[in-house]
Amino acid sequence: MLPSRLAAPAIVIVLAISVFDIATGLEHWPFGSYPMYSTVYPQRLSWLRLYGVTAQGEIPLRGDRDFAPFDQARLIMALERIQAAPGAKQNLDDALHNLAALYNRQPEHPPLRALRLYQVAWQLKPGQRGTEPPDQRTLVAEENAP
Amino acid sequence: MKRLAPVRVVTYSLLFLIYLPLDDRGWTQVSAVFWMPISLFHLLSGPPRNAALIGALEVLWKLSLVTSAIGLFSRISMFTAAGLGFYLLGLPNCFGKIHHLDGFPVLLLAILAAGALLRGRSSQSDWPIRLAQALFLLVFFAAGYSKLRHSGLAWMTATNMRDISLGELFTHTPPTPLASYLARYTWLCGLGAVATVIIELSALPAIFLRRLRPFTLAALFGLQAMIALMLGVYFTPHLAGYALFLPWDRLYAKLRQKPDTAPACNRLSLS
Repeated sequence: MLPSRLAAPAIVIVLAISVFDIATGLEHWPFGSYPMYSTVYPQRLSWLRLYGVTAQGEIPLRGDRDFAPFDQARLIMALERIQAAPGAKQNLDDALHNLAALYNRQPEHPPLRALRLYQVAWQLKPGQRGTEPPDQRTLVAEENAP
Repeated sequence: MKRLAPVRVVTYSLLFLIYLPLDDRGWTQVSAVFWMPISLFHLLSGPPRNAALIGALEVLWKLSLVTSAIGLFSRISMFTAAGLGFYLLGLPNCFGKIHHLDGFPVLLLAILAAGALLRGRSSQSDWPIRLAQALFLLVFFAAGYSKLRHSGLAWMTATNMRDISLGELFTHTPPTPLASYLARYTWLCGLGAVATVIIELSALPAIFLRRLRPFTLAALFGLQAMIALMLGVYFTPHLAGYALFLPWDRLYAKLRQKPDTAPACNRLSLS
């Protein structure tokens, strides 16, 4: 057991890191500045979306359902970061190759012929339900299934 | 240490139940192209590849949560829970995005473990609870402050709240159509935006003002419940944070049929 007088410095250090991250906007996980939803959202939403090519045509795919252990938010953010980093073309191809393998591990899924990554966009309007198709789609990358 | 014991039982039991379904073995199948380490994970050479080892660590971690809750080998158990918690809860965040759900539970486990190591006189024994309570409230203040820092007062407009609500319908899978309903009413969007920031910012004064604390905590809980229903983002691990403010010492005393001799400072209080 360590002497209890070390408790005070421990408290100060923990609070100092926490306040530092809040003040600077930096992230030193598990501390953080909690910036989720902190920006002003545009009325035109642009997002990456994965589509699988099957014998029946293209089907939209979701992270949490089709690419476990990824969830949708983490998968799209990861793909955005890969897209924005150097060597994006090769890295996106590798990423899609791996995602197709993750998808095909689940036996209940219809087999994929290819996996496509699109940049999709919607004009946000009251009354939408989230099921409307995007009004713009641009192919970013495509990879044949392994 | 009397007041720490019931909090320890509740906290570790809750975390065990919340994280029982956790399974990190799938990350061993994810390509290194997705590996974007955070924090101490930079020290690793790459993503883990041994699913059996991850599975064993998960079993050990969940077991350590149980033994910490019941006070079996408590110091070793609490350190194991904190160390493995850091690794197992941090690992998914190394694949593209930090989800701000698990940071607080990791800090809570570390604080409780440190509290077990730095046990002193009884008058000082509550510091882990008080520190964890303060950090929990700072989480919400940070979220409110981030909004003002990145967007200023423009964040608190009806248009912004409407676009967030509508956007999440396309990017997440909300369990209810509440976001679509909210987006139809400008006044409701404006009210929601202003209330969100005020409630989050009130977490800072709530650290110091005991009378404000119950109102702030109730409002924060309501806010997170609305986020879950509207946006499909679930802050379930934060239940362990809310539980820190409940008077477990009184319940514990009643269960043991002993008079409650603990000072009132642990009841929705930091001071």
